[in-house]
Amino acid sequence: MKGNIMRERVVMVGDELPLVGILCEPEKDQAKAPGTAVILLNSGVIHRVGSCRLSVTLGRALVERAGITTFRFDFSGIGDSEARRGTLTANQAAIDEIQEVMDHLQRWKGFDRFILYGLCSGAFAAYRTALADTRILATVQLDGYCYTTWKSHLMHYSPRLLSLSRWMAFLLRKLGLRKVRKGAEVSGIEEEFFEVPDFASYPPKEEVEQGLGRLNDRGLDMLYVFLGNEHYKYHGQFQDCFSGVPFNNNLTVIHRPEASHILSEPNERRAVVDAITEWVYERARAV
Amino acid sequence: MRRLAINLAELGYPVLRFDYRGTGDSAGDIDGHTADHWVDDIGHAIQELVDMAAVPRVALIGLRLGALLAAQAADRHHQVSRLVMWDPIADGAEYVGGIRSSIVNGGTQTSRSRVLASDGTLHFNGFSMPPRFQESISKWNLHDQAQELNLPVAQIVSHESDTFDRLKQQLSGRPGFYSELAPAPHDWNYVDHVGGILWPKPVIDAIESYFNQVTH
Repeated sequence: MKGNIMRERVVMVGDELPLVGILCEPEKDQAKAPGTAVILLNSGVIHRVGSCRLSVTLGRALVERAGITTFRFDFSGIGDSEARRGTLTANQAAIDEIQEVMDHLQRWKGFDRFILYGLCSGAFAAYRTALADTRILATVQLDGYCYTTWKSHLMHYSPRLLSLSRWMAFLLRKLGLRKVRKGAEVSGIEEEFFEVPDFASYPPKEEVEQGLGRLNDRGLDMLYVFLGNEHYKYHGQFQDCFSGVPFNNNLTVIHRPEASHILSEPNERRAVVDAITEWVYERARAV
Repeated sequence: MRRLAINLAELGYPVLRFDYRGTGDSAGDIDGHTADHWVDDIGHAIQELVDMAAVPRVALIGLRLGALLAAQAADRHHQVSRLVMWDPIADGAEYVGGIRSSIVNGGTQTSRSRVLASDGTLHFNGFSMPPRFQESISKWNLHDQAQELNLPVAQIVSHESDTFDRLKQQLSGRPGFYSELAPAPHDWNYVDHVGGILWPKPVIDAIESYFNQVTH
């Protein structure tokens, strides 16, 4: 990989209430996969810059070092994209809007293959859209769907069983003497000032396993990155969780237990960007 | 800021909002830059708005550190007609010291996302501030600068503080000074599991109302 010259421009997708995004592309002679683009999705309500500017850093790194065009945009109602009225849930609307973006990039620039990147809710949207659209050849998911396993339960609860302070806290909660504080209670800020997204809860594990099976059969390339959180305990948890899916070399799992969910640590952010860039570069070369 | 920009545009003001170099969608990173470069960026934004909207003068609205930067820019650019300070950071040295203290004094309670690097760079909730940048900000103090601000100033604040009171006292004798308390959330470092987006609508309304007053 080497540093390439890149160009960025603001792009509006759609005539009414357009989606606003940034197209970042290499010079033509530097493009490694001219028919393929990477689309970077919002995480929660964080706008297209990404948590700790991760989407900007990654979007530019992919262009400069992997020679692949990127597009990062705001879903309707987030960042610079106006809210759209309709009856679709945010989850359904996300699929529609990603497809609208892909259609636009296909008509305008001739891209017919896409790699979707997302963190958290962006990862979930990448997974669901991959199920709905065969133009997607790969997904990069940070803290995507994964469920606990017997081993992760053991790793989670073993230290707690030996901790006197945790037993005391447990008893106090059960006796109603200690309240668990959440969200606005922790911040001390009143609820009315929070703009809280309506994220659907995890789907049943069996449903995701079936979905992954279909994507696996289709040959979708998948990079899963799991960051430090109390639900993902060990490197092989994803494979153990979905042991019914016969993944081959189309699955790569990276576990960064020292990283926070929003990758606020500079060294961890750099390591994850490097790993994703390398992975996408290899896929772009293979297309 | 987007909502504020839209509201002011609806009042008839051309509005430009931008990211300083090394932040948001703008190019580069903060390494090698000082806060003076960010003041230069405000100058570029002023010129862009003058050129694009064909306006002779420009009002600056700055939030927290942005207010301190905007005050510097107002001092350097004759096109600035008005300065609006939203919850201003008044003392640059105190601001940098506060961030450093929260990292250093956090001890074992300090989040992994709060790091004091060996070269002195402050890493705080995903934002990095190299030593040169810290030094440049630390030289600025709104209290010292208050008497030199030669334009109408508005201070619109979300909460009460000694700093805001002192600034108000310093500026209250000046022609065109306006002050308003618009109670709203102001814990900008609060981050919940989805990023904790706060909606300071009372302040946005107050700034919109201020512009409406000065126009009519």
